[in-house]
Amino acid sequence: MSTEETAGPAAGAGLRWRRVHPVTPFVRGWAVIVAVLVIGSQQVLDDVAGALEAAGEIGSFWWIVVLAIVLFVGIVFGYAALAWRMTAYAVDDDAAHLRKGVLFRQQRHARLDRLQAVDVRQPLLARLFGLAELRLEVAGGADSAVAIGFLKEAEAQRLRADLLARAAGIRAGKTSPARPSTADAHGAPVPAAEPVAGVDLPVAPPGGDTAAAPGAPGPAAETSSVGGPAGEPEDAPAAGEDVAPPEAPERPVYEVPPSRLLLSLLRLPGLWVAVLFLVGLGVVVAMTGSFGVLVSAAPAVLGVGGYLFQRFAGEFGFRAALSPDGIRLRHGLLETRAQTIPPGRVQAVSLTQGPWWRGPDWWRVRVTVAGYGGAEGSTDESQNVLLPVGPRSEALTALWLVLPDLEVPGGPDETLALLDEALTGDARTDRWFVTSPRRARLLDPLSWRRNGYAVTGRALFARGGRWVRHLEVVPHERTQSLGLDQGPWQRRRGLASVALHTTPGPVSPAVHHLDADEAARLLGEQSVRARAARAHAGPERWMEARQ
Amino acid sequence: MTSIPTGPEPSPAPPATPSTGPFDPPGVTWQGVSPRLVQARLISATATTAVPVVAGVVLALVLSPWFWLLAGVPAALLLWAVLLVPRQVRAIGYAERDDDLLIRKGILFRSLVVVPYGRMQFVDVEAGPLDRKLGIAKVQLHTASANTDADIPGLVPDEAERLRDRLSARGEARLAGL
Repeated sequence: MSTEETAGPAAGAGLRWRRVHPVTPFVRGWAVIVAVLVIGSQQVLDDVAGALEAAGEIGSFWWIVVLAIVLFVGIVFGYAALAWRMTAYAVDDDAAHLRKGVLFRQQRHARLDRLQAVDVRQPLLARLFGLAELRLEVAGGADSAVAIGFLKEAEAQRLRADLLARAAGIRAGKTSPARPSTADAHGAPVPAAEPVAGVDLPVAPPGGDTAAAPGAPGPAAETSSVGGPAGEPEDAPAAGEDVAPPEAPERPVYEVPPSRLLLSLLRLPGLWVAVLFLVGLGVVVAMTGSFGVLVSAAPAVLGVGGYLFQRFAGEFGFRAALSPDGIRLRHGLLETRAQTIPPGRVQAVSLTQGPWWRGPDWWRVRVTVAGYGGAEGSTDESQNVLLPVGPRSEALTALWLVLPDLEVPGGPDETLALLDEALTGDARTDRWFVTSPRRARLLDPLSWRRNGYAVTGRALFARGGRWVRHLEVVPHERTQSLGLDQGPWQRRRGLASVALHTTPGPVSPAVHHLDADEAARLLGEQSVRARAARAHAGPERWMEARQ
Repeated sequence: MTSIPTGPEPSPAPPATPSTGPFDPPGVTWQGVSPRLVQARLISATATTAVPVVAGVVLALVLSPWFWLLAGVPAALLLWAVLLVPRQVRAIGYAERDDDLLIRKGILFRSLVVVPYGRMQFVDVEAGPLDRKLGIAKVQLHTASANTDADIPGLVPDEAERLRDRLSARGEARLAGL
């Protein structure tokens, strides 16, 4: 296997540099090649007669044409070969290294204890070749990911398992005999490493299709035996490779059937606005008989259609699983993505429900992970999704994946009560939430009863929205800074808003229009709570403390 | 220019505005910033409004009296700034607590930011040419969140340096992951 060869013995102190798959430049650069071909053929087709004439003219110089083509192909291949030769990666216990670039050389080291997530990405073309790209997300702006690729699928799986084991603080042996023991070491501490805490799993709701699945996160379902042997065959398509990957065992938690995804998209208002728009357009065209209107409306229709298709394709076949390495997510129709988010890397969670999903009580769960970025409306939105659409029980299970124990005083029943209140309750029935006072009605006539916050031992819940209900959950130790804001109208009514600043992402938690003194109290107490939680936060290498 | 109090060094500020509840946590003594920030802000405001004002006046005299509008609107804005900026600057305050830094701003739209030292990723000290001439600098704190709007403008260079070193030292001592 060419990917295994070392790229020179003296390349780096003791590092074993490896090459990526030789097809990589073409998988990456296919768009350029296709564009060149398309433009070339268009030029010829546009002017067939002229081209033929020219062909007749240069008939005697045919060898020049052939030479030009050969030269062009040679340059492309030469550059590709050079680019491939220059790209190499290596992994040691502390960091992942990647070097690439022909003219502008780049070396990148990603510290493994700062690893935020590991994605295995397979664009369509790479899937045809059986290749995959490994993306190591570190927190550092838009383009900070270390993209190792492309590798053979099994190789990518193996590398991911290796990286996660090292990042977790398990010293993996470098040769294959050590691997089974890695798997054991990895598998054994599952009950301990997961802060599953036995009884306190009230969030996994009874009923619902998830509970039916074996190994669903039922309360204290399996503390001693982790279902299945290491390396669930399901997770490694075409895994029949030589070495069994030291993959941490995982339990499937939920999946989203395509029918539900489709139905949920059909309920989106954007689709119906677009359909109405089209119908209106049809009427206009029928009455005036001019088709020019259609052309002018094309961009809008294409935009809506593109968005819906992107959501469908990106969230198709969504599956979530839990492993000692954290949350595993798989999704995608054309381009597939298998994400692993290690424990403690989720900065904030949001649960939203528009009025269009209220009938079946469906919710959408998104997370902020440092390094994913993905602010509202960015192209890669599916990266931040924890549950594209699901009933309340599944949404709560998704929240449980992030925060297994909310530490609500009073046990499981109280936790469920709190969560119900957080999702659908308002000031008239609240027991846990502190909401806007009545004098906020003028400033926020619709949702003043919903605005509010609640605090548990582990996280802060910020609730809001009456038409589009939303709930943001921030673990105490993940708050970056806190803000208190007050505008002139708020001051006259003795109100203030509190914002919790988290890393860039789709979740921006804030509690609006609280009583001013209450807001000040929340600000003071939350900064104390965040400090205390940070002091007791788990280690960056999530297995280390347990060894 | 206008009559701006060109005070000497930053006074250990008295509570800027009559202290209202939520923006005055108990047991916090606020530090003010240098009054020279008023000068800096007004000079740059004058520079930006001068061009349309002059153009408006010239055009009004030459072409049509309607162009007085073009001159009048920015002039009014400038007058507004002259009245407002000193109060704004007096409203800026910061306080170092044991574990976090507080920054307070604004009169009409007030805001208070609490930045834990352990959350600081890096600290910037900036000073433009005008700032350097006037002898002030801006300290900006960055956390992993893009929303953290924590900058302290108008610090005397010595104080800016002291604050920078102190913040870095405290940040290191309390450093946490993300």
